[in-house]
Amino acid sequence: MPGKDHILVVDDDPDIRRQLSGYLEKNGFKVSVAGDGRGLRAVLDKGRVDLVVLDLMLPGEDGLILCRNLRARSDVPVVILSARGEQMDRIIGLEMGADDYLPKPFHPRELLARVKSVLRRVRSFPNHLMSEEETASYRFSDWHLEGVSRKLYSPDGKQVPLSGSEFILLRIFLNHPNRVLSREQLVEMSRGRETDPFDRSIDMQVSRLRRRLEDDPKNPLLIKTVRSAGYVFCARVQKGGTLLGVE
Amino acid sequence: MEKIVVHIDSDLEDIAPGYIENRHKDVAALKEALTANDLEVPKVLGHRMKGSGAGYGFDEVTEIGRRMEEAAKAGDGQSIEALTARLEDYLARVEIVYD
Repeated sequence: MPGKDHILVVDDDPDIRRQLSGYLEKNGFKVSVAGDGRGLRAVLDKGRVDLVVLDLMLPGEDGLILCRNLRARSDVPVVILSARGEQMDRIIGLEMGADDYLPKPFHPRELLARVKSVLRRVRSFPNHLMSEEETASYRFSDWHLEGVSRKLYSPDGKQVPLSGSEFILLRIFLNHPNRVLSREQLVEMSRGRETDPFDRSIDMQVSRLRRRLEDDPKNPLLIKTVRSAGYVFCARVQKGGTLLGVE
Repeated sequence: MEKIVVHIDSDLEDIAPGYIENRHKDVAALKEALTANDLEVPKVLGHRMKGSGAGYGFDEVTEIGRRMEEAAKAGDGQSIEALTARLEDYLARVEIVYD
């Protein structure tokens, strides 16, 4: 089925798998299902997956660990589901690299909206950041970000995996180096007009991005926290042939 | 017997009857587990019902599941038995209207 986004639903509850596969297929997606981590890997090994819907409480391997491992090997977006529903789970889930979190029970329509929103978010930019930014490459502090392939390379040339949300956030910082950006600005620039139910998710993403950039969270050199104001990306950034953020 | 009318999204019309059918199977499995004094079955099924019921529109199933999972964790067989009976009664009375 060419052209359809492929969603992988990982949940040990057959009723949830059935509900989601039926609902998402009705709404134009190709859907695969798996009941545990082994099933998840089997589907991923077979071909392209555009988004993973991942339950946290799975037999054998915990969903949070699966999410972390998934993030280490791929940038496929992840929406976490969990009946645990604690705020700490939500935070840990986002820290482990999930792009969104939905507590159970949920209406499938809400999941559909979130799936669409995450796919939109990781694939596109708000209008004011479109065009040139889509293809631009950047160099900063011996790091290299390729715009078209969305690949990040460390100073020693190693490729560092980035989730879709992390890539978008990094590109925003790279376009506004040495300038304080408030949390609200970061949310607005990364998500356009979409609203986010999780106020702290931008902090989680910054925290994850720091880890990707090997930036010590206690004493960050690249992404510094400006108390009560937001974050500032401290580096000379070269975008294509242009140097940014130099007064 | 008084019916309990539940309004469910017509999007779920194909799969809601199957969901109720599976809860009937849960009742049978729970009764069997109670006889065997097995608390793992009500814990797992309670957890699943908690996470899925309201998503289909069956809020009562979520509530029963939530309580059942708690009772199983507490080793409270009496509550599990009462909740199994409550689930069985609900399934016998529920009538689905698709909107």
